Amino acid sequence: MTKSGLAVVGIAEVPTRRDPERTRWDILLDVCMGAINDAGIDKNLIGAVISNNPMAQPSMQNDMSLGKIPEVMGLKGCRDIAICNAGGASTTNCLRLAEQHIASGQVDFVLIPHTTVQSDMPPQDLINFFATAPLDKQFEYPYGVSFNGSMGLITQRYMYETGATEEELASVTVALRAWGALDPLSIFYGKTVTLEDVMNSRMISTPLKAKECNLLADGGGAMVVTSWEKAKAFGDKAVYKLGHGTRFMSATPMLREDVFHRQSYRESSQDALAQAGLSIHDMDLRQIYGAYPYTQCSALEGYGVCEDGQGAKLWAEGRCGPGGDLPCTTMGDATGRGHTGSGVSMAFYLDTIRQLRGEAGERQVKNCEHAILTTSGGSVMNTCTTVFGRAPR
Amino acid sequence: MSEYKKPLPEIQPYSQPFWDGTRENKLLVQHCNACDTNIFYPRRDCPECWSQDLGWIEASGRAIVYTYSVTYEGVEEKFVEDLPIILAWIDLPEGIRMHTNLVECEPEDVRIGMEVEVVYRPVTEEITLPFFRPVSTS
Repeated sequence: MTKSGLAVVGIAEVPTRRDPERTRWDILLDVCMGAINDAGIDKNLIGAVISNNPMAQPSMQNDMSLGKIPEVMGLKGCRDIAICNAGGASTTNCLRLAEQHIASGQVDFVLIPHTTVQSDMPPQDLINFFATAPLDKQFEYPYGVSFNGSMGLITQRYMYETGATEEELASVTVALRAWGALDPLSIFYGKTVTLEDVMNSRMISTPLKAKECNLLADGGGAMVVTSWEKAKAFGDKAVYKLGHGTRFMSATPMLREDVFHRQSYRESSQDALAQAGLSIHDMDLRQIYGAYPYTQCSALEGYGVCEDGQGAKLWAEGRCGPGGDLPCTTMGDATGRGHTGSGVSMAFYLDTIRQLRGEAGERQVKNCEHAILTTSGGSVMNTCTTVFGRAPR
Repeated sequence: MSEYKKPLPEIQPYSQPFWDGTRENKLLVQHCNACDTNIFYPRRDCPECWSQDLGWIEASGRAIVYTYSVTYEGVEEKFVEDLPIILAWIDLPEGIRMHTNLVECEPEDVRIGMEVEVVYRPVTEEITLPFFRPVSTS
Protein backbone atom coordinates (compact mmCIF):
# COMPACT_ATOMS: atom_id res chain seq x y z
CA MET A 1 0.00 0.00 0.00
CA THR A 2 1.32 3.43 -0.91
CA LYS A 3 1.12 5.84 1.96
CA SER A 4 0.17 9.44 1.36
CA GLY A 5 -0.37 12.47 3.46
CA LEU A 6 0.00 16.18 3.91
CA ALA A 7 3.01 18.34 3.09
CA VAL A 8 3.69 22.01 3.74
CA VAL A 9 5.09 23.82 0.69
CA GLY A 10 4.71 27.51 1.52
CA ILE A 11 5.05 29.56 4.70
CA ALA A 12 5.07 33.18 5.80
CA GLU A 13 5.03 34.95 9.14
CA VAL A 14 5.19 38.51 10.46
CA PRO A 15 7.42 39.39 13.42
CA THR A 16 5.73 39.00 16.80
CA ARG A 17 5.41 42.40 18.44
CA ARG A 18 3.01 44.82 20.11
CA ASP A 19 1.99 47.29 17.42
CA PRO A 20 -1.61 48.50 17.29
CA GLU A 21 -0.82 50.35 14.04
CA ARG A 22 -0.44 46.99 12.28
CA THR A 23 -4.04 45.90 11.71
CA ARG A 24 -5.44 42.37 11.78
CA TRP A 25 -6.15 42.54 8.05
CA ASP A 26 -2.66 43.90 7.27
CA ILE A 27 -1.15 40.89 9.00
CA LEU A 28 -3.62 38.50 7.40
CA LEU A 29 -3.03 39.69 3.84
CA ASP A 30 0.75 39.84 4.28
CA VAL A 31 0.98 36.27 5.54
CA CYS A 32 -1.53 34.81 3.05
CA MET A 33 0.19 36.40 0.08
CA GLY A 34 3.58 35.60 1.58
CA ALA A 35 2.81 31.89 1.94
CA ILE A 36 1.39 31.61 -1.59
CA ASN A 37 4.42 33.46 -2.98
CA ASP A 38 6.77 31.27 -0.94
CA ALA A 39 5.14 28.20 -2.49
CA GLY A 40 5.46 29.90 -5.85
CA ILE A 41 2.01 28.89 -7.04
CA ASP A 42 -0.76 30.87 -8.72
CA LYS A 43 -3.25 32.24 -6.19
CA ASN A 44 -6.13 30.61 -8.03
CA LEU A 45 -4.75 27.16 -7.27
CA ILE A 46 -5.80 27.58 -3.63
CA GLY A 47 -8.83 25.28 -3.38
CA ALA A 48 -9.77 25.95 0.25
CA VAL A 49 -9.02 28.36 3.09
CA ILE A 50 -9.06 26.79 6.55
CA SER A 51 -8.51 29.51 9.13
CA ASN A 52 -7.19 29.48 12.66
CA ASN A 53 -9.89 31.15 14.75
CA PRO A 54 -8.79 34.38 16.49
CA MET A 55 -10.73 33.49 19.60
CA ALA A 56 -10.58 36.76 21.53
CA GLN A 57 -11.49 38.88 18.48
CA PRO A 58 -15.14 38.41 17.51
CA SER A 59 -15.29 40.77 14.52
CA MET A 60 -12.28 39.08 12.93
CA GLN A 61 -13.82 35.69 13.69
CA ASN A 62 -16.89 36.72 11.70
CA ASP A 63 -14.83 37.96 8.76
CA MET A 64 -12.78 34.78 8.64
CA SER A 65 -15.71 32.41 9.28
CA LEU A 66 -17.93 33.96 6.67
CA GLY A 67 -15.70 34.01 3.65
CA LYS A 68 -13.93 37.36 3.50
CA ILE A 69 -10.44 35.96 2.88
CA PRO A 70 -10.95 34.36 -0.57
CA GLU A 71 -13.20 37.27 -1.58
CA VAL A 72 -10.75 40.03 -0.59
CA MET A 73 -7.78 38.18 -2.08
CA GLY A 74 -9.56 37.13 -5.25
CA LEU A 75 -8.89 33.42 -4.77
CA LYS A 76 -10.97 32.36 -7.75
CA GLY A 77 -10.29 28.64 -7.35
CA CYS A 78 -11.47 28.51 -3.73
CA ARG A 79 -14.20 25.88 -3.32
CA ASP A 80 -14.57 25.87 0.43
CA ILE A 81 -13.79 27.78 3.59
CA ALA A 82 -13.86 26.75 7.23
CA ILE A 83 -12.55 27.94 10.57
CA CYS A 84 -11.18 25.81 13.38
CA ASN A 85 -11.26 26.73 17.03
CA ALA A 86 -9.46 24.68 19.62
CA GLY A 87 -7.81 27.64 21.37
CA GLY A 88 -4.06 27.21 21.18
CA ALA A 89 -4.43 23.98 19.22
CA SER A 90 -6.51 25.57 16.45
CA THR A 91 -3.79 25.30 13.80
CA THR A 92 -3.55 21.57 14.48
CA ASN A 93 -7.20 21.17 13.60
CA CYS A 94 -6.76 23.35 10.51
CA LEU A 95 -4.09 20.91 9.32
CA ARG A 96 -6.35 17.94 9.98
CA LEU A 97 -9.27 19.45 8.12
CA ALA A 98 -6.97 20.45 5.25
CA GLU A 99 -5.76 16.86 5.15
CA GLN A 100 -9.31 15.70 4.42
CA HIS A 101 -9.63 18.12 1.53
CA ILE A 102 -6.29 16.99 0.10
CA ALA A 103 -7.13 13.30 0.58
CA SER A 104 -10.42 13.75 -1.27
CA GLY A 105 -8.45 14.62 -4.38
CA GLN A 106 -10.86 17.48 -5.03
CA VAL A 107 -8.53 20.18 -3.72
CA ASP A 108 -4.80 20.44 -4.48
CA PHE A 109 -3.70 23.34 -2.26
CA VAL A 110 -5.14 24.62 1.04
CA LEU A 111 -4.28 27.96 2.63
CA ILE A 112 -4.14 28.01 6.45
CA PRO A 113 -3.87 31.54 7.89
CA HIS A 114 -3.80 33.11 11.34
CA THR A 115 -3.85 36.71 12.60
CA THR A 116 -4.01 38.16 16.11
CA VAL A 117 -3.73 41.71 17.45
CA GLN A 118 -3.95 42.01 21.22
CA SER A 119 -2.04 45.28 21.72
CA ASP A 120 -5.16 47.36 21.05
CA MET A 121 -7.23 45.52 23.66
CA PRO A 122 -7.48 46.80 27.29
CA PRO A 123 -5.31 44.63 29.61
CA GLN A 124 -8.29 44.09 31.92
CA ASP A 125 -10.30 42.59 29.04
CA LEU A 126 -7.46 40.22 28.20
CA ILE A 127 -7.09 39.10 31.83
CA ASN A 128 -10.85 38.52 31.88
CA PHE A 129 -10.75 36.56 28.63
CA PHE A 130 -7.99 34.24 29.78
CA ALA A 131 -9.67 33.80 33.20
CA THR A 132 -13.09 32.90 31.80
CA ALA A 133 -12.72 31.26 28.38
CA PRO A 134 -10.64 28.25 29.48
CA LEU A 135 -11.67 28.11 33.16
CA ASP A 136 -14.93 27.23 34.94
CA LYS A 137 -17.20 30.24 35.48
CA GLN A 138 -19.06 28.67 38.36
CA PHE A 139 -16.44 26.96 40.47
CA GLU A 140 -13.12 28.61 39.50
CA TYR A 141 -13.63 32.18 38.27
CA PRO A 142 -15.40 33.55 41.42
CA TYR A 143 -12.23 32.75 43.39
CA GLY A 144 -9.99 35.29 41.67
CA VAL A 145 -8.14 32.80 39.53
CA SER A 146 -6.23 34.09 36.52
CA PHE A 147 -4.70 31.91 33.84
CA ASN A 148 -1.32 32.44 35.51
CA GLY A 149 -2.87 31.39 38.83
CA SER A 150 -4.23 28.21 37.33
CA MET A 151 -0.83 27.31 35.90
CA GLY A 152 0.84 28.31 39.19
CA LEU A 153 -1.29 25.67 40.95
CA ILE A 154 -0.06 22.96 38.58
CA THR A 155 3.56 24.16 38.75
CA GLN A 156 3.54 24.07 42.57
CA ARG A 157 2.34 20.47 42.52
CA TYR A 158 4.89 19.58 39.83
CA MET A 159 7.70 20.85 42.09
CA TYR A 160 6.25 18.98 45.07
CA GLU A 161 6.06 15.65 43.24
CA THR A 162 9.31 15.82 41.27
CA GLY A 163 11.56 17.80 43.58
CA ALA A 164 12.29 20.24 40.74
CA THR A 165 13.51 23.53 42.20
CA GLU A 166 12.47 27.08 41.33
CA GLU A 167 15.95 27.62 39.88
CA GLU A 168 15.66 24.54 37.64
CA LEU A 169 12.29 25.74 36.36
CA ALA A 170 13.68 29.26 35.89
CA SER A 171 16.40 27.73 33.69
CA VAL A 172 13.65 26.74 31.24
CA THR A 173 12.78 30.39 30.72
CA VAL A 174 16.46 31.33 30.40
CA ALA A 175 16.80 28.77 27.57
CA LEU A 176 13.53 29.75 25.87
CA ARG A 177 14.59 33.39 25.93
CA ALA A 178 17.99 32.40 24.56
CA TRP A 179 16.25 30.84 21.56
CA GLY A 180 14.01 33.90 21.26
CA ALA A 181 17.01 36.23 21.41
CA LEU A 182 18.34 34.54 18.25
CA ASP A 183 15.03 34.76 16.39
CA PRO A 184 14.18 37.92 14.41
CA LEU A 185 10.49 36.91 14.61
CA SER A 186 10.50 36.92 18.43
CA ILE A 187 9.38 39.92 20.46
CA PHE A 188 12.50 39.20 22.54
CA TYR A 189 14.97 39.22 19.61
CA GLY A 190 18.36 40.19 21.01
CA LYS A 191 17.07 40.12 24.60
CA THR A 192 18.40 37.27 26.70
CA VAL A 193 17.70 36.90 30.43
CA THR A 194 19.86 35.41 33.18
CA LEU A 195 18.77 33.02 35.89
CA GLU A 196 18.95 35.95 38.31
CA ASP A 197 16.71 38.06 36.05
CA VAL A 198 14.05 35.34 36.12
CA MET A 199 14.38 34.59 39.84
CA ASN A 200 14.31 38.28 40.77
CA SER A 201 11.35 39.21 38.57
CA ARG A 202 8.08 40.07 40.30
CA MET A 203 6.13 37.20 41.84
CA ILE A 204 2.84 36.81 39.95
CA SER A 205 1.27 33.53 41.16
CA THR A 206 3.65 31.35 43.17
CA PRO A 207 5.90 29.84 42.04
CA LEU A 208 5.52 31.68 38.70
CA LYS A 209 7.42 34.93 38.32
CA ALA A 210 6.80 37.69 35.80
CA LYS A 211 9.41 36.48 33.32
CA GLU A 212 7.88 32.98 33.40
CA CYS A 213 4.46 34.32 32.42
CA ASN A 214 3.40 35.32 28.93
CA LEU A 215 3.62 38.70 27.25
CA LEU A 216 0.51 39.05 25.07
CA ALA A 217 1.47 40.23 21.61
CA ASP A 218 0.38 40.49 17.97
CA GLY A 219 1.37 38.19 15.18
CA GLY A 220 0.29 36.04 12.31
CA GLY A 221 1.40 33.37 9.95
CA ALA A 222 0.18 31.17 7.12
CA MET A 223 0.92 27.88 5.44
CA VAL A 224 0.12 26.41 2.04
CA VAL A 225 -0.32 22.65 2.19
CA THR A 226 -0.73 19.97 -0.45
CA SER A 227 -0.39 16.22 -0.93
CA TRP A 228 2.87 14.25 -0.68
CA GLU A 229 2.65 13.54 -4.39
CA LYS A 230 2.28 17.18 -5.44
CA ALA A 231 4.89 18.26 -2.86
CA LYS A 232 7.65 16.37 -4.68
CA ALA A 233 7.77 19.14 -7.28
CA PHE A 234 8.63 21.64 -4.54
CA GLY A 235 11.96 19.97 -3.68
CA ASP A 236 13.58 21.08 -0.41
CA LYS A 237 10.77 23.52 0.28
CA ALA A 238 8.40 20.67 1.10
CA VAL A 239 8.11 19.38 4.66
CA TYR A 240 6.11 16.22 5.25
CA LYS A 241 3.63 15.42 8.01
CA LEU A 242 4.49 11.83 8.95
CA GLY A 243 2.29 11.04 11.92
CA HIS A 244 -0.15 12.47 14.41
CA GLY A 245 -1.73 11.58 17.75
CA THR A 246 -4.00 13.49 20.12
CA ARG A 247 -5.25 12.96 23.66
CA PHE A 248 -8.01 14.98 25.33
CA MET A 249 -7.93 15.33 29.11
CA SER A 250 -10.41 17.86 30.50
CA ALA A 251 -11.72 21.35 29.92
CA THR A 252 -11.38 22.35 33.57
CA PRO A 253 -7.92 22.22 35.16
CA MET A 254 -9.08 21.07 38.62
CA LEU A 255 -10.72 17.97 37.11
CA ARG A 256 -7.59 16.79 35.30
CA GLU A 257 -6.30 13.47 36.68
CA ASP A 258 -3.25 13.67 34.38
CA VAL A 259 -2.36 16.95 36.04
CA PHE A 260 0.99 17.50 34.29
CA HIS A 261 -0.32 15.99 30.98
CA ARG A 262 2.55 13.52 31.13
CA GLN A 263 0.44 10.51 30.18
CA SER A 264 -1.25 12.53 27.47
CA TYR A 265 2.13 13.56 26.03
CA ARG A 266 3.22 9.91 26.25
CA GLU A 267 0.24 8.42 24.43
CA SER A 268 -0.13 11.13 21.78
CA SER A 269 3.59 10.99 20.95
CA GLN A 270 3.54 7.19 20.79
CA ASP A 271 0.62 7.31 18.34
CA ALA A 272 2.33 9.94 16.20
CA LEU A 273 5.68 8.13 16.19
CA ALA A 274 4.07 4.77 15.43
CA GLN A 275 2.28 6.26 12.44
CA ALA A 276 5.57 7.76 11.26
CA GLY A 277 7.43 4.50 11.86
CA LEU A 278 10.01 6.35 13.96
CA SER A 279 11.17 6.44 17.58
CA ILE A 280 11.55 9.43 19.88
CA HIS A 281 15.31 8.92 19.56
CA ASP A 282 15.04 9.59 15.81
CA MET A 283 13.82 13.11 16.55
CA ASP A 284 16.35 15.90 16.00
CA LEU A 285 14.10 18.57 17.48
CA ARG A 286 11.34 18.60 20.11
CA GLN A 287 8.92 21.55 19.93
CA ILE A 288 6.62 21.87 22.93
CA TYR A 289 3.80 24.42 23.07
CA GLY A 290 2.70 24.50 26.70
CA ALA A 291 3.13 28.22 27.39
CA TYR A 292 4.37 27.57 30.95
CA PRO A 293 7.76 26.14 32.00
CA TYR A 294 6.54 22.94 33.67
CA THR A 295 5.15 21.74 30.33
CA GLN A 296 8.63 21.89 28.79
CA CYS A 297 9.65 19.39 31.49
CA SER A 298 6.65 17.07 31.70
CA ALA A 299 6.51 16.76 27.90
CA LEU A 300 10.10 15.45 27.78
CA GLU A 301 9.11 12.94 30.48
CA GLY A 302 6.00 11.91 28.53
CA TYR A 303 7.92 11.62 25.27
CA GLY A 304 10.32 9.24 26.99
CA VAL A 305 13.36 11.49 26.56
CA CYS A 306 13.99 11.15 30.32
CA GLU A 307 12.50 9.51 33.41
CA ASP A 308 9.40 11.02 35.00
CA GLY A 309 10.38 13.95 37.18
CA GLN A 310 13.76 14.53 35.48
CA GLY A 311 12.65 17.01 32.78
CA ALA A 312 13.67 20.17 34.65
CA LYS A 313 17.18 18.80 35.16
CA LEU A 314 17.71 18.53 31.39
CA TRP A 315 16.90 22.22 31.02
CA ALA A 316 19.01 23.19 34.05
CA GLU A 317 21.97 21.30 32.54
CA GLY A 318 21.66 23.41 29.39
CA ARG A 319 20.90 20.43 27.17
CA CYS A 320 17.68 21.81 25.64
CA GLY A 321 18.76 25.37 24.80
CA PRO A 322 21.11 26.72 22.12
CA GLY A 323 24.20 24.51 21.83
CA GLY A 324 22.62 21.66 23.80
CA ASP A 325 22.51 18.04 22.62
CA LEU A 326 18.69 17.85 22.96
CA PRO A 327 17.44 21.02 21.29
CA CYS A 328 13.87 21.74 22.38
CA THR A 329 11.39 24.45 21.52
CA THR A 330 13.59 26.56 19.26
CA MET A 331 10.44 28.58 18.65
CA GLY A 332 10.87 29.90 22.23
CA ASP A 333 7.30 28.99 23.30
CA ALA A 334 4.97 31.84 24.26
CA THR A 335 7.38 32.73 27.09
CA GLY A 336 10.29 33.35 24.73
CA ARG A 337 8.41 34.51 21.65
CA GLY A 338 5.36 36.52 22.82
CA HIS A 339 1.86 35.01 23.15
CA THR A 340 -0.28 35.55 20.05
CA GLY A 341 -3.44 33.85 21.33
CA SER A 342 -4.51 30.92 19.20
CA GLY A 343 -1.62 31.77 16.87
CA VAL A 344 1.12 30.37 19.08
CA SER A 345 0.44 27.00 17.48
CA MET A 346 0.82 28.51 14.00
CA ALA A 347 4.19 29.97 14.96
CA PHE A 348 5.24 26.54 16.28
CA TYR A 349 4.42 24.82 12.98
CA LEU A 350 6.17 27.51 10.97
CA ASP A 351 9.31 27.32 13.09
CA THR A 352 9.35 23.54 12.77
CA ILE A 353 9.08 23.82 9.00
CA ARG A 354 11.90 26.39 8.92
CA GLN A 355 14.11 24.02 10.94
CA LEU A 356 13.40 21.10 8.62
CA ARG A 357 14.07 23.28 5.57
CA GLY A 358 17.34 24.46 7.13
CA GLU A 359 16.12 28.07 7.21
CA ALA A 360 16.25 28.71 10.97
CA GLY A 361 19.26 31.01 10.88
CA GLU A 362 21.27 31.17 14.09
CA ARG A 363 18.88 28.75 15.75
CA GLN A 364 19.31 26.08 13.09
CA VAL A 365 19.46 22.56 14.52
CA LYS A 366 22.22 20.69 12.65
CA ASN A 367 21.07 17.96 10.25
CA CYS A 368 17.46 18.40 11.26
CA GLU A 369 15.67 15.50 9.54
CA HIS A 370 12.78 14.81 11.91
CA ALA A 371 10.92 16.90 14.46
CA ILE A 372 8.16 16.22 16.97
CA LEU A 373 5.77 19.00 17.93
CA THR A 374 3.00 19.16 20.53
CA THR A 375 0.33 21.86 20.72
CA SER A 376 -2.39 22.24 23.35
CA GLY A 377 -5.61 24.19 23.56
CA GLY A 378 -7.61 25.87 26.32
CA SER A 379 -6.09 25.32 29.73
CA VAL A 380 -4.07 22.41 28.26
CA MET A 381 -7.26 20.46 27.61
CA ASN A 382 -5.37 18.23 25.17
CA THR A 383 -2.01 17.37 23.66
CA CYS A 384 -1.83 17.23 19.86
CA THR A 385 1.45 15.68 18.76
CA THR A 386 2.73 15.65 15.20
CA VAL A 387 5.89 14.24 13.62
CA PHE A 388 7.31 16.04 10.58
CA GLY A 389 10.17 15.08 8.32
CA ARG A 390 12.17 16.31 5.33
CA ALA A 391 11.07 13.35 3.25
CA PRO A 392 7.97 11.15 3.03
CA ARG A 393 8.29 7.61 4.43
CA MET B 1 -24.34 43.07 50.71
CA SER B 2 -25.68 44.24 47.35
CA GLU B 3 -22.32 46.01 46.93
CA TYR B 4 -20.53 42.79 45.94
CA LYS B 5 -18.62 43.63 42.75
CA LYS B 6 -16.76 40.40 42.08
CA PRO B 7 -18.08 37.74 39.71
CA LEU B 8 -20.77 35.48 41.08
CA PRO B 9 -20.92 31.83 40.09
CA GLU B 10 -22.92 31.18 36.92
CA ILE B 11 -25.50 28.82 38.40
CA GLN B 12 -27.32 26.17 36.37
CA PRO B 13 -30.65 24.59 37.35
CA TYR B 14 -28.90 21.37 38.32
CA SER B 15 -26.29 23.11 40.47
CA GLN B 16 -28.83 25.23 42.36
CA PRO B 17 -29.02 22.78 45.31
CA PHE B 18 -25.25 23.21 45.84
CA TRP B 19 -25.72 26.95 46.32
CA ASP B 20 -28.90 26.46 48.40
CA GLY B 21 -26.70 24.24 50.57
CA THR B 22 -23.88 26.72 51.09
CA ARG B 23 -26.47 29.34 52.08
CA GLU B 24 -27.50 26.97 54.86
CA ASN B 25 -23.85 26.29 55.71
CA LYS B 26 -23.88 22.83 54.21
CA LEU B 27 -21.38 21.55 51.64
CA LEU B 28 -23.38 19.30 49.31
CA VAL B 29 -21.87 16.91 46.80
CA GLN B 30 -23.95 15.63 43.92
CA HIS B 31 -24.40 11.86 44.06
CA CYS B 32 -25.59 9.38 41.44
CA ASN B 33 -28.13 7.01 42.98
CA ALA B 34 -27.78 4.62 40.04
CA CYS B 35 -23.99 4.03 40.03
CA ASP B 36 -23.01 5.49 43.41
CA THR B 37 -20.58 8.07 41.99
CA ASN B 38 -19.93 11.40 43.67
CA ILE B 39 -19.96 14.13 41.01
CA PHE B 40 -18.21 17.50 40.88
CA TYR B 41 -19.07 19.92 39.42
CA PRO B 42 -22.83 19.25 39.36
CA ARG B 43 -24.29 18.06 36.03
CA ARG B 44 -27.70 17.35 34.60
CA ASP B 45 -26.74 13.73 33.94
CA CYS B 46 -24.26 11.47 35.70
CA PRO B 47 -21.07 11.61 33.58
CA GLU B 48 -20.36 7.96 34.43
CA CYS B 49 -23.69 6.27 33.59
CA TRP B 50 -25.94 9.08 32.24
CA SER B 51 -28.55 8.42 34.92
CA GLN B 52 -30.69 11.38 35.86
CA ASP B 53 -31.43 9.84 39.26
CA LEU B 54 -29.12 12.26 41.03
CA GLY B 55 -29.23 13.34 44.65
CA TRP B 56 -26.99 15.10 47.15
CA ILE B 57 -24.89 14.02 50.10
CA GLU B 58 -23.56 16.32 52.76
CA ALA B 59 -19.75 16.45 52.83
CA SER B 60 -17.79 16.44 56.06
CA GLY B 61 -16.38 19.85 55.20
CA ARG B 62 -12.82 18.66 55.75
CA ALA B 63 -10.27 18.45 52.93
CA ILE B 64 -6.56 18.14 52.14
CA VAL B 65 -4.63 20.75 50.15
CA TYR B 66 -3.57 19.11 46.85
CA THR B 67 -1.82 22.25 45.62
CA TYR B 68 -1.90 26.01 46.08
CA SER B 69 -0.66 29.20 44.47
CA VAL B 70 -0.43 32.65 46.01
CA THR B 71 -1.41 35.32 43.51
CA TYR B 72 0.19 38.73 44.01
CA GLU B 73 -0.81 40.43 40.76
CA GLY B 74 -2.34 39.92 37.35
CA VAL B 75 -6.00 39.71 38.39
CA GLU B 76 -8.95 41.79 37.26
CA GLU B 77 -9.37 45.15 39.01
CA LYS B 78 -12.30 43.85 41.06
CA PHE B 79 -10.04 41.29 42.78
CA VAL B 80 -7.13 43.64 43.49
CA GLU B 81 -8.36 44.53 46.99
CA ASP B 82 -8.11 40.83 47.94
CA LEU B 83 -4.45 40.41 46.98
CA PRO B 84 -2.58 38.33 47.85
CA ILE B 85 -5.12 35.62 47.03
CA ILE B 86 -4.32 32.05 48.06
CA LEU B 87 -5.70 29.78 45.34
CA ALA B 88 -5.95 26.09 46.18
CA TRP B 89 -7.16 22.78 44.87
CA ILE B 90 -8.44 20.69 47.74
CA ASP B 91 -9.28 16.99 47.90
CA LEU B 92 -12.42 16.04 49.81
CA PRO B 93 -12.70 12.61 51.44
CA GLU B 94 -15.86 12.25 49.35
CA GLY B 95 -13.54 11.75 46.37
CA ILE B 96 -13.83 15.10 44.64
CA ARG B 97 -11.39 17.96 44.01
CA MET B 98 -12.52 21.57 44.32
CA HIS B 99 -10.95 24.91 43.49
CA THR B 100 -11.14 27.40 46.38
CA ASN B 101 -9.33 30.13 48.29
CA LEU B 102 -7.60 29.45 51.57
CA VAL B 103 -8.53 32.06 54.16
CA GLU B 104 -7.69 32.91 57.78
CA CYS B 105 -4.02 32.05 57.21
CA GLU B 106 -0.85 33.61 55.87
CA PRO B 107 0.62 32.53 52.52
CA GLU B 108 3.80 31.29 54.20
CA ASP B 109 1.80 28.93 56.44
CA VAL B 110 0.25 26.98 53.55
CA ARG B 111 1.59 23.54 52.71
CA ILE B 112 0.56 20.82 50.27
CA GLY B 113 -1.06 18.07 52.32
CA MET B 114 -2.31 20.32 55.12
CA GLU B 115 -5.80 19.72 56.49
CA VAL B 116 -8.41 22.41 55.91
CA GLU B 117 -12.08 22.90 56.74
CA VAL B 118 -14.90 24.75 55.04
CA VAL B 119 -15.89 28.24 56.10
CA TYR B 120 -18.94 29.95 54.61
CA ARG B 121 -18.96 33.57 53.52
CA PRO B 122 -22.23 35.08 52.33
CA VAL B 123 -21.45 37.55 49.53
CA THR B 124 -25.03 38.38 48.46
CA GLU B 125 -28.42 37.38 49.81
CA GLU B 126 -28.52 34.44 47.41
CA ILE B 127 -24.91 33.42 47.20
CA THR B 128 -22.66 32.06 49.93
CA LEU B 129 -19.21 31.05 48.70
CA PRO B 130 -17.43 28.17 50.44
CA PHE B 131 -13.82 28.94 51.38
CA PHE B 132 -11.41 26.80 53.37
CA ARG B 133 -9.13 27.51 56.33
CA PRO B 134 -6.49 25.46 58.10
CA VAL B 135 -7.86 23.11 60.73
CA SER B 136 -6.78 24.44 64.08
CA THR B 137 -4.17 22.18 65.62
CA SER B 138 -4.33 23.75 69.06
